Amino acid sequence: MAIKTLCDGGLKVCALNSGRRLDPQKDFRNHRATWEMKYRGFGDPKTRMKDTPDFLDSEYNPGAWEHEVGFTTAPGTSWMWPRCSAVGGKTNFWGRSSARFGDIDFQCATLDQYDTDWPVTYEEIAPYYTRVEKMIGVASTVQNRRSNPDGVYLPPFNFRCFDWILQKGCEKVGVPYLPDRIAQLTVAHAGHPACHYCGDCTFGCEVGAFFSSPWFLLPSAESSGNLELRTNAIARSILIDGEGNASGVAYIDRDSRQEYEVYGRAVVVAASCIESARIMLNSQSRHWPNGIANSSGQLGRNLCDHLYADTASGYFPQLLGQPSFPDNVSANPIAWMPRWQNLNGPREEKFIRGYSIYPDGGCSEFPSYYDRIEGFGSAFKRDIRRRYPTPITLTVQAPTLPSQSNFVDIDPEAKDTFGIPMARIHFRWGGNELLMLQHAKQVSAEVFHSAGAVLESSADEPEMPGYSLHETGTCRMGNDPRKFVTNRFGQTHDVSNLYVCDASVFLNCTDKTTTLSILAFALRTSEYLLEQFRRGGQQATQ
Amino acid sequence: MLRILAIAAGVASFPGFSKWSFACGHLGSSIAQIKPAAYQPLFFTPAEYSTIERLADLIIPSDETPGASEAGVSEFIDLMVSRDVGLQSRFRSGLGWLDSHSKTSSGNTFLGLTPARQTRVLESLAYQKNFRTGEEPGREFFALVREYTVMGFYTSEIGLKELDYPGLKFYSESPACPHHDPEHRNLPLAKN
Repeated sequence: MAIKTLCDGGLKVCALNSGRRLDPQKDFRNHRATWEMKYRGFGDPKTRMKDTPDFLDSEYNPGAWEHEVGFTTAPGTSWMWPRCSAVGGKTNFWGRSSARFGDIDFQCATLDQYDTDWPVTYEEIAPYYTRVEKMIGVASTVQNRRSNPDGVYLPPFNFRCFDWILQKGCEKVGVPYLPDRIAQLTVAHAGHPACHYCGDCTFGCEVGAFFSSPWFLLPSAESSGNLELRTNAIARSILIDGEGNASGVAYIDRDSRQEYEVYGRAVVVAASCIESARIMLNSQSRHWPNGIANSSGQLGRNLCDHLYADTASGYFPQLLGQPSFPDNVSANPIAWMPRWQNLNGPREEKFIRGYSIYPDGGCSEFPSYYDRIEGFGSAFKRDIRRRYPTPITLTVQAPTLPSQSNFVDIDPEAKDTFGIPMARIHFRWGGNELLMLQHAKQVSAEVFHSAGAVLESSADEPEMPGYSLHETGTCRMGNDPRKFVTNRFGQTHDVSNLYVCDASVFLNCTDKTTTLSILAFALRTSEYLLEQFRRGGQQATQ
Repeated sequence: MLRILAIAAGVASFPGFSKWSFACGHLGSSIAQIKPAAYQPLFFTPAEYSTIERLADLIIPSDETPGASEAGVSEFIDLMVSRDVGLQSRFRSGLGWLDSHSKTSSGNTFLGLTPARQTRVLESLAYQKNFRTGEEPGREFFALVREYTVMGFYTSEIGLKELDYPGLKFYSESPACPHHDPEHRNLPLAKN
């Protein structure tokens, strides 16, 4: 978003991307069937990453995910960090849920006295959300919920059988069940074709029917003539001039391992939360012995993530033996149970703030429920067939709270294969999100019961931290330079020509996903930068 | 109402399942190729491979619809195992357990048993009510073979046809539930 906005605004931009460009016709799935793949889509057992969810690092998208830039974890920390290094990053393969944050999020500390408010109001951000939604196309409905400000929407996805059943069940328990906000085109929009519902999304969309940076933002930047995009360029550090300002970026070419420098009159960091912190912490000079723009000591701090866990998993007996149905139309949930807790008061529950739940189920590509059926032979085969339309899983998305114990620093010893000191992650779940998990499991069981579903399992433990790919924090924005890395516009307090345009600036991760808000905040920051340049006349490097 | 406009080009041009050979571009259209005369296992010995074939066939048999053998499941298992040292030892020791167990109880290797006896051996490994102490390694092995059989079968064209997999197609609008019964309590009678 920053690249597009700055190029469209007339600035010359040199963009560094740590991976290669993807070719949708070659690097995406393109409707290939499992049996057309050598390893049937499971990937080569010899080389696939064991610690990465296999839906991310896939046989359908070889080479798109990062395998070379390592990281370390502090003792006691587990962290999974799937990163797409290719141009467009995770937007090539993301889940597309796109809810706005609201004042219940921005004014969180006023409500519950924990941590601190965001330095912005919903009223200030709303116009940016509207512009982003019009740009990318989001399918949903107006829902009038306090935690979920409504936006500008394309027609929603239709409900499938299990959506109606679950909605009925939720109604009895007093939980909302509504169309999610999804950045996927139910009608043609802004020059992009409507979705054809093949279910390939997680492996890339070859027609660009859902938002990704390469399909929606880069073309305009490239046609402006203002963009020079350097690929396979792994940023080592930000270059610092004699006054302590940013003067450019030092990077290493992934293929040749040569180091290069590019210079510009401003630097925008948008490498995703942990990478951005790593780059800035590794940018040291006599002005910035602890990392550039880190006079507050807050750079790398306040790492947040979404706790994910399957709170209920089982099946609908009422659908046993029914004909198969294209339930897997988006390869991801199309409905949600948006935050319904603590809406009327901050402490109605034992935890503060709130979580959302995503339902998924129905006919999918692989009958992974087979391990819940005993036996073998014709009866086993028949039961797999009968159960095909019936599976259902509820997954909680619960925000962690900013905490002293959760942060990123630089490992004093370990360097990656490019010789760059690695990020070290310190993270553990806190009590609030674990209370949310317990609560979500209880509600999920009630929903299953009232919907007539058979509950077969619920997670004892959350997924490994990092699983959600929704990390936030590390360069939080705020008005007080002693407590925050950037100001309310994403410009660092210490270095006026250094800007941050990703979820690093977020105060916390809320119960919503991050991409839509990253786009809205990045649009605002980029226009603020353009305004600074109009006054001062400078050139930009990213 | 849903309209299926077309099947994705990659799928439509696919002439039908031919026993899965490792070069993905190599897809013969002749039915005669479904049973190549001699498959050369990448990892298993011929005897081990025959046992894997038999096990896969018992787990997902040919009945009114095709099963594991038509879908080339044992070739898939051989390929996956050949690429993973950890799997190799689990499969090899499991196969060893199965044969020595069969010899002890019935005086022959697993393959040498009658189909009825083979089924009985598996029943004590597959159903909790039949579990016997001391057979934990056998149960683990059976679960492993079953897992890879399911993986191989339901990613083959035959397997996805068995489920009537509705994905990888073009739909003109977002598929909508066709029923008028939100709770789905009174659906038309299900197939078996």
